Amino acid sequence: MRDTSQPKELMQTELRQQQQRVELFSEVTLKIRQSLQLKEILHTTVTEVQRILQADRVLIYHVLPDGTGKTISEAVLPDYPALMDLEFPEEVFPEDYQQLYAQGRVRMIADVHNSTAGLADCLVEFVDQFQIQAKLIVPIVQTLNAHTHGTSSSKNHLWGLLIAHQCKNARHWVDFELELMQQLADQISIALSQAQLLEHMEEVVEARTAELQEVNRNLQQEINVRMQAEAALRQSEEQLRLITNALPVLIAYVDDQQQYRFNNQAYQDWLGQSPSEIDGCHLQQIWGDECYQRMQAYVETALSGRVITYENDIVLKDGSARSVNVTYIPHLDDSKAVKGFFALTNDISDRKAIERMKDEFISVISHELRTPLTSLHSALKILATGQLGTLSNAGQQMLGIADDSTERLVRLVNNVLDLQRIESGKVVMERQACNATNLMIQAAEVMQAMAQQHGVTLMTQAEDLSIWADADYILQTLTNLLSNAIKFSSPGGTVWLTVACHKKPSSAKSKKQTLKSKIQAAYSEVVFRVRDEGQGIPANQLERIFERFQQVDSSDSRKKGGTGLGLAICRKIIEQHNGKIWAESAPGHGSTFAFTLPAFDRVHHH
Amino acid sequence: MCIKRVLIIDDEETIQTVVQFGIKMAAGWEVLTAGSGAQGIQTAQSEKPDVILLDVMMPEMDGIATFKALQSHAETEQIPVILLTAKAQTAEKRQFNDLGASGVITKPFNSLNLPEQIARILHWKCKYENLAGRR
Repeated sequence: MRDTSQPKELMQTELRQQQQRVELFSEVTLKIRQSLQLKEILHTTVTEVQRILQADRVLIYHVLPDGTGKTISEAVLPDYPALMDLEFPEEVFPEDYQQLYAQGRVRMIADVHNSTAGLADCLVEFVDQFQIQAKLIVPIVQTLNAHTHGTSSSKNHLWGLLIAHQCKNARHWVDFELELMQQLADQISIALSQAQLLEHMEEVVEARTAELQEVNRNLQQEINVRMQAEAALRQSEEQLRLITNALPVLIAYVDDQQQYRFNNQAYQDWLGQSPSEIDGCHLQQIWGDECYQRMQAYVETALSGRVITYENDIVLKDGSARSVNVTYIPHLDDSKAVKGFFALTNDISDRKAIERMKDEFISVISHELRTPLTSLHSALKILATGQLGTLSNAGQQMLGIADDSTERLVRLVNNVLDLQRIESGKVVMERQACNATNLMIQAAEVMQAMAQQHGVTLMTQAEDLSIWADADYILQTLTNLLSNAIKFSSPGGTVWLTVACHKKPSSAKSKKQTLKSKIQAAYSEVVFRVRDEGQGIPANQLERIFERFQQVDSSDSRKKGGTGLGLAICRKIIEQHNGKIWAESAPGHGSTFAFTLPAFDRVHHH
Repeated sequence: MCIKRVLIIDDEETIQTVVQFGIKMAAGWEVLTAGSGAQGIQTAQSEKPDVILLDVMMPEMDGIATFKALQSHAETEQIPVILLTAKAQTAEKRQFNDLGASGVITKPFNSLNLPEQIARILHWKCKYENLAGRR
């Protein structure tokens, strides 16, 4: 029984020891791993090994690149000298020893003085200094990873030694102790690798951090620039808003969906709706159906890319009606597409009221002048018959002056009223198809007496053309031009009245007699010309004479009984017919007054 | 001989006078005068003139109202009426024609020319040599 129990006890002791070792080992490993700080790892290692092995001194010796080395961590009993920070000369630890250790050599020396230990005398002397009796040495090998050009090679390098000393006495080291030392040395190796890796990573992190900081700096700079730009933009927007809000006109931006995108304060003042309420609303929503109907065509014109100005009547929030002048300016993007338009609206009610008053005043004055003028005119004519008594020659002369002046006054009143009526738009040209020949003959008949009086020959070259016009007004224009031509002709001169059909260049290009060309023919014009052989008109006066009271030589013209309004009226009449009127002249070679009228075509019938 | 009787209805006395003088001198016609629409209607009814010259712009009863009144009376219905107006636009002339007026003479006019104008409007043939001889 004892024989059998003995080995059993031994086995049990063995097992207990093994378990103890495993526990110890894992405990130490855990402690080591709890830190990433190499110094702390090393300290824990020496402390724990010293405690477990009950060694007098445990140290870690670090081999320096120059072959020397020193103790960098140590746990030593207070009775013995510390080796910490003591530098060892190279001779103590020669190069070939280092090589052996790098390959994994361990040393277990039970007694340094025992010759079988194989320690050199000098070394024995050296260890004696520190009272070392026995020692256990395991290498700490570092696997160096050289990361160069994507390939990695590894080589073992002796980083240092883990050494246990027994100073009190000689000691027989057991396998367990060696194993523990070796395993801990491996742990230190791993820690070293990790530290190296960590260091490498730190470098990478540092580099990345530097990069990021650079990027950050750039971003910050950009942000600053943008913030400045934004501030400037805000400021200019603020200024724009201040300016637009201060103006007593409606200012808006409308997008291509006819929705408001900007409005100034005037919208609030006029319509009672704030810019924020209006923003995004459709024009029709803001102005109502009736008003929008009057706007729609102009809005569409603006959105087709053309600037347009028109007048409209609107109702304000207080119910008052206002006349406004509206201008739309299209907003084009880089590719010339219309993005929307700017809308400017002015209150022209006061101007309109004044215009109405002016028109009414002129109208009333003209009418009121007519009655006394009729009396005056008739009375003078009756006096001139001589039936009421004979005047002296001087008396006849005075009567002549009164008569001429009255006639001129009559013409002036007629012309002023005519011009005012045409300009105010009260008169609508009643256009119909008229025969050019008829009009010319009528005009020539009317002017024949005057021509004879001036000794001027009136020549008419008529053509059977149809025009689209108000016959009365064209007759007025023709007689006016003929009257001027006769007035400025010398006795014996000739005045020509001609007419011609004038195809517009666009229709001339079309050779085939297609429907298209027929339609284009509808747009052809008729040109009337009145030519004289008078003194002519200087080139710089050719435009001006169509303005009111702008005769070439006013004293001369008045002598000839002109009112200074005839050509202005002619121009208004022709413009109302969508025609054009102009004068051509070379001084000394007479002048030609010409005007165009739309030709009549059957297209107009339908 | 072709003596006509003309009634002029105008609130302006000076017009009445020059019309009377002018027509008498130019054609030797007889001229009756009235200063208002009401008076004119009365004179027209009693005197039955050959033609009435009627001013459009008159206070109280204007030319248009007077014309309509004349048209509504059997005695005066047939008498041709020529309106005297300061307005001479095509549209207004047409409006007067549509009312049934025989014609329009625009102010200012020369009263000496009135017989000729009246004769032309009413297609009277008689007085041409008469007038031409005088001028």
